[in-house]
Amino acid sequence: MTAGRLPRSLHPLAWWGWAIGLAVAASLTTNPLLLALILAVVWLVVVARRSDSPWARAFRLYVILGIVIVVVRIFWHVLVGLKFGTIKVLPLPEVALPSWADGINLFGTIYLEGWIGAALQGAKLGILVIAIGGANALANPKRLLRSMPHALHEVGTAVVVSVSVAPQLAESVQRVLRARLLRGQSGRGLRAVPQVALPVLQDTLDRSLMLASAMESRGYGSRREASSGAAGRLAIGGSTLIGLLAIAFGMYGVLDPTRTPGWSGVPVLVLGMLLAFGGMALGGREIRVTRYRRDPWRWAETVTVLAGVAAATGAVLSQQATPALMVMPLQPLAAPGLPILATVGVLVAALPAFVTPPTPKVRAR
Amino acid sequence: MTAVTETVRTPPAIRLRPRSTVAIAVAAVAALLAFCWPLLVSADSVLATNTAAPLILGLVLPVVLAVVLFEISEGGLDPKAVAMLGVLSAVGAAIRPLGAGTAGLETVFFLLVLAGRVFGAGFGFVLGATTLFGSALITGGVGPWLPYQMLGASLVGLLAGLLPRATGRVELLMLAAYGAFAGLLYGVLQNLSFWPYNLGEDTSISFVPGAPLLENLQHFAVFTVTTALGWDLGRALTNAVLILVTGPAILATLRRAARKAAFR
Repeated sequence: MTAGRLPRSLHPLAWWGWAIGLAVAASLTTNPLLLALILAVVWLVVVARRSDSPWARAFRLYVILGIVIVVVRIFWHVLVGLKFGTIKVLPLPEVALPSWADGINLFGTIYLEGWIGAALQGAKLGILVIAIGGANALANPKRLLRSMPHALHEVGTAVVVSVSVAPQLAESVQRVLRARLLRGQSGRGLRAVPQVALPVLQDTLDRSLMLASAMESRGYGSRREASSGAAGRLAIGGSTLIGLLAIAFGMYGVLDPTRTPGWSGVPVLVLGMLLAFGGMALGGREIRVTRYRRDPWRWAETVTVLAGVAAATGAVLSQQATPALMVMPLQPLAAPGLPILATVGVLVAALPAFVTPPTPKVRAR
Repeated sequence: MTAVTETVRTPPAIRLRPRSTVAIAVAAVAALLAFCWPLLVSADSVLATNTAAPLILGLVLPVVLAVVLFEISEGGLDPKAVAMLGVLSAVGAAIRPLGAGTAGLETVFFLLVLAGRVFGAGFGFVLGATTLFGSALITGGVGPWLPYQMLGASLVGLLAGLLPRATGRVELLMLAAYGAFAGLLYGVLQNLSFWPYNLGEDTSISFVPGAPLLENLQHFAVFTVTTALGWDLGRALTNAVLILVTGPAILATLRRAARKAAFR
């Protein structure tokens, strides 16, 4: 127990599982009480467990984005929305557009019911986005990259290089500027842009070749011939390609169930995903990758993911049992109730704020 | 002097095998379905209610992307190509915030188009995905929109690598025209995929699940012309101008790097 309380960062995938669970819960309801509860839980956990890293500060931007989404929804409702309800809020004249934009009317009297409905639809999407923002704030993206599947090791390496080289570009720019100063060219303004940008690009590209030779000299890219032989390669290629085809076909089936047989929707989609995962897992076995300081997965990670699953499950069960409580009653307007199962699920999702080990407060680089 | 840079053609940095070509083709179809879903969806689909759509598509699209990237890199990438991908997506991720949001000033695509042209279609595809993914990780911008942006940028890079042979001024004009076209199409496709979320279900220019294609197209046209066309035109113009202005110098720099790297 004492070892669990030592400050450490949680596995990034645990935070993503938790956040996706809350996002699923938010996407299933327009009940303002439940939405407010989800927002409060996300906020509480983020404040309790975020680090002082740059990506943790991005959470504020997600909150702003969430508010913008609600405002945009209300704007569209006032401008072109289909107004419904009985309680008048703002009598506006209705403006019919000319015939080329048939059927579109601007403005019109705004009713309280329609207004609340639009705001809550926006709040649902906004809180979904804020929940995803919680994962962005809590999970360390560099550590998340380490959890990329083996099959994507090389593309993942390219992203790791990109994430770590981007800050170095500023240094490269300063080096070129200093060289220009030493030559007596202090020219600023638009003229200087190509004279700085091109050497920086050259420098970066040359550095990439140096990086490549360093990678090669450390054994990267000296991959042995595939160990599985022709049959194995056929299995890998077959399952990924058939999986991809099934996903495309299944997507069409999900979109248009009237013109496709019933089995071709979700079942084919799931089958395609499974085949694709299987093929990638097979392919990943051929790539030997060593991991330096592997991120541990302890009970705190499991609790965090299960807390997210609890929120999603509670919302799904409540929707099955008491669908009327999951939506805001608009016609007629009434006070919303609280669906028990969904509420309990969302409250469980607040657990990570208390049971996970605290985040170390030194900036990790 | 200029004749050298124009005539020497370097081999593609990432070779596309028949299997990866098939994978990209299928993924392009899946991507098109995902972008155009509001036009295709019928009234009795689970996606018609607008709540499940962001979650289902948000789960399916990353898998599609992962499979294609796996197929392209299966059998091993040249470490030089991996390093080049890394630094070019770092440059892209660094210049992306320079223009983000201000009147459609989009500063990633010109680099994507030029790099796809020099290093080939496969490289362009992977670069599109890694640039936007890296940029999202650096700025903390991972969200349901990311798979759409990655797929869109990947297709922009892929098609840039498939443009016909040309040299000199013709090549530059062709790339600029393509950049403008790609910027416009990218914008319209992104709008299309987010149109239902942006607007909600009950406005008179919302999408109506299962309605005739023409009616939904008309609603979408009004929505995109009134809201986003300014941004899309701005993006198209930025691309064309940036490619025309920086193209000669950057193409020469990239070709020099490609020759030095001598991809196998």
